[in-house]
Amino acid sequence: MKGSYLGELEELVLLHVGILYPNAYGVAVMDEIEKQARRSLNISAVHSVLTRLEEKGLLKSKMSDPTEERGGRRKRIFLLTAAGKRSLEEANELRNQLFSQIPKVALQFRLA
Amino acid sequence: MNRQPPKWADRFLQWYCRPELLEEIQGDAYELFYRKATLHPRQAKIQFVWNVLRFFKWSNIKRTKRNYSLNSPTMIKSYLTTGIRNLFRHPLNGSINILGLSLAVAIAITTFIVIDNQLHADHFHRNIDRIYQVTSYVKIDKGTEEWSDSPIMLGPSMLQEQTNIESFTRIEYGNADIRYNQNVFNEQVWFVDPSFFEIFSFPILAGDQQGLKTKNQIVLESSIAKKYFGEADPIGQSLSLKFRERDKQEFIISAVFERPTGSTLYPSIFLSMDSFQDMQPDKINDWGYKVDGTFILLRADRSIAEVKNHMRSFVRDQNAASPQWLVDEYHFRPFKGLGLVSHEIISSISQGSQMEGLVSLAVIASFLLILASLNYMNVTVATVATRLKEIGIRKVIGGQKKQIITQFLTENFLMCSLALVVGGIISYLFMLPGFNALFPSNILFEFSSGNIMFLFFAGLLFFIGLISGAYPAFYIASFQPIEILRGKEKFGQKSLFSRVLLTFQFTFAFITMVGSFVFIDNSIHLKNKDWGYQHDNLMAVRVEEKDKYLTLRNQLTSNPNVVHLAGADNHIGKSDDKITLTHHEQQIETIDFRVGYNYLEAMNIRLVEGRTFTQTIQSDEVESVVINETFGKKLGWARPIGQMIEIDSVKRYVIGVVADFHYKGFYDVLGPAMFRVAKEDDFNFLAIQVREGHMNEVQEQVKSFWQNIAPYDTYEGFVQDDVFASFNQNNNAHVQLLTFVCLITIILASLGLLGLVFFNTTRRMKEYSIRKVMGATGEQIFQLMNKDYVIILSTAFILGAPSGFFLVNSLIQKVYPDPKGANPLPFILAVSIMMAVVAITVTTQLVRITKQSPSEVLRND
Repeated sequence: MKGSYLGELEELVLLHVGILYPNAYGVAVMDEIEKQARRSLNISAVHSVLTRLEEKGLLKSKMSDPTEERGGRRKRIFLLTAAGKRSLEEANELRNQLFSQIPKVALQFRLA
Repeated sequence: MNRQPPKWADRFLQWYCRPELLEEIQGDAYELFYRKATLHPRQAKIQFVWNVLRFFKWSNIKRTKRNYSLNSPTMIKSYLTTGIRNLFRHPLNGSINILGLSLAVAIAITTFIVIDNQLHADHFHRNIDRIYQVTSYVKIDKGTEEWSDSPIMLGPSMLQEQTNIESFTRIEYGNADIRYNQNVFNEQVWFVDPSFFEIFSFPILAGDQQGLKTKNQIVLESSIAKKYFGEADPIGQSLSLKFRERDKQEFIISAVFERPTGSTLYPSIFLSMDSFQDMQPDKINDWGYKVDGTFILLRADRSIAEVKNHMRSFVRDQNAASPQWLVDEYHFRPFKGLGLVSHEIISSISQGSQMEGLVSLAVIASFLLILASLNYMNVTVATVATRLKEIGIRKVIGGQKKQIITQFLTENFLMCSLALVVGGIISYLFMLPGFNALFPSNILFEFSSGNIMFLFFAGLLFFIGLISGAYPAFYIASFQPIEILRGKEKFGQKSLFSRVLLTFQFTFAFITMVGSFVFIDNSIHLKNKDWGYQHDNLMAVRVEEKDKYLTLRNQLTSNPNVVHLAGADNHIGKSDDKITLTHHEQQIETIDFRVGYNYLEAMNIRLVEGRTFTQTIQSDEVESVVINETFGKKLGWARPIGQMIEIDSVKRYVIGVVADFHYKGFYDVLGPAMFRVAKEDDFNFLAIQVREGHMNEVQEQVKSFWQNIAPYDTYEGFVQDDVFASFNQNNNAHVQLLTFVCLITIILASLGLLGLVFFNTTRRMKEYSIRKVMGATGEQIFQLMNKDYVIILSTAFILGAPSGFFLVNSLIQKVYPDPKGANPLPFILAVSIMMAVVAITVTTQLVRITKQSPSEVLRND
């Protein structure tokens, strides 16, 4: 089903929107990703992902008050929707579940 | 904060970005910029531009709004309805208008077909890109001339020594008498190499596809085959041909070919080069003998430059064999487009139209087309006066400017399409057949390809649609509805534009009219020009054998209707043999007539001084000449009689001087000419002076005598009046074409005028009615109406008439050596015609005003 699949970058952005609650907007998300995941993204790429997630119904948005630092323009503040939260949980669960299934030996071998 | 991001990038962002996304995108970009700007202003700017560019993606770009509110299809239907209703409301005016446009369109279509046909001439030959004609640059006194003729040995030698060419064919003209039933026809035949049919692709309708294989075969063109055999199958039949001074020979018809309309070669009968060899065995290996043309077929992968590099030895061979005609070099003319340059080659085999002629046709056609379109436009603008209310209402109920423009353009394109159809029909039914009759040709109503036809018609529609429709549409759409509906729009009263246009039209009309009249005047002058001798009662017959000549002469001597009989080697009007002779080291080139003793008397040549040849004076035959006046002037002789000249080192003395006479058409300056006595053995013509009023009778008699004397020879008798027939026909064709162009211009100009006058009177009807109520007479109103047009007409005349005169006069001066001088007649004629046209046009409207009752007009308000 289209829209149910969550891409890697999408998941990353979705997580950061959650982290930044209630101040997640384009530049903030970009900065946070750079700080936490050490990935430098272009602002336009962040915008595309945010828009896509909103279209999928995982995010919702509202306009903030005007701010001086943006030349008197408003920000679009993104918030997680219930569906967004659920898909994050699902992704997390799936990952943990899969991780736990890895045989110890393989991990030890890898760590050694 | 004084640092700002680059303005252009910001504007670009605002321009492309979807409005609903603009704020956040612009906000983010600004935020990032300001963050960096304090420390690294340059980097910040670069980053801003970069971000703006990165944001430029499909999801962020503004979508063009759909025409959500205009409901176009329904409106177009409404536009068409109003358009058609409007046409029916003024049926006369509408149809006149469309007819004017159609005429110009018909001319454009015809011209295009003719030009298309000429430019794609010969394209039916499959190998056209690889065919070249080898021409010779021959040295003459000053510079070189390009001859179509080339040595008979050239083709075979080239094929032998060069691998670059695939094959060659020579073309040699011949004349043969072909007897069929009781009639004998003289036909031109082409001796060609058998490879002719591989190189050229004349469609073979019947018989052997290879055309000629053996030397006793003959190939006929379809119309010739029909002439001799009717509907019967000619293949395998035999035909007997008799060449001059030779015996009859039988040939078997091996094939019948068709000459397509787009051919610039005009063969009608083919014989093999081998038969030519049989007849003239000494010529075939003679580098000094020239055939009328040599064509080669280049190998597919070779270039003509490679062939050119190997021509040196052939130049040497030819020059050694014929030192009197030295060849400078051989030239290769591509067969593709040869017709268009054929006038540059002396006695070219290919005969096409000159490029200049085609260009001037195209110029005339486009001129007329522009004129007609502007005409149409002018009337459309004027018609708008009656539709002001409609436009006002449309605007008030929400019609946008764009919609009004669309409406008028749609309407206009509709009318133009109608004109296109009507024009096509006129061209098909009248103009193309007319053209074919005028300049004997056989051009069909077709285009070289479907694409070209489509492009032409689409282009034509677009062209006339836009020229005639764009200005009115934009003009009309700019009206203010309130002004219109209050009746304040003072429309068309001071429309300088339409006046300038009308002046331009009439100027053009005057140029063509005066030009045509000058040309026609000159043609009439040429037709009535003194030929230098009385040619009314003269006829001549071609007789080439002495015994036949003598028999015919003896049979005619006793005829009471024959005044004079004289033989001649070459005949005035049929030949212009040139020779060079010397007079005390001085060389002079002259036309040389070798004639019988009483030829000058028989031909009515006027003697100016001295005497003509006399049989009793024995020296006349060997040492006397009679010259024309120009001859004497050229050598600066005050007293020509007794002067001595040398022809091939033989001395001759002038015994008489005759008046200058025309021996050719009227294009050339009359040069020196002379007569000397020829032997009866050399006679080719018998000139006959007939008693006044008995020409037909004598002609019949001569013909029946001839059929008895020489049943296998063509009868070639002609009336002297007809010797310049082809010149006159050509001249007449030009006169008719010019008259036609002239007529069309007058029609177009008067249609434009009519449209304008009609609407001006409609607009000023109220004014005229009030004037009538106040007691104005018809005469006064007539004067009032005419004032404008008199000014326009006079301006046009002052501009147009002299330019027309100088244009055509300089052309005439160039073409004809002895033109008729300036003459007030063309100017008077042009003015009278124009005045008549204007008077008629204005009078029809005056009648309308007079008949209209003032109360009817005024009551409406």
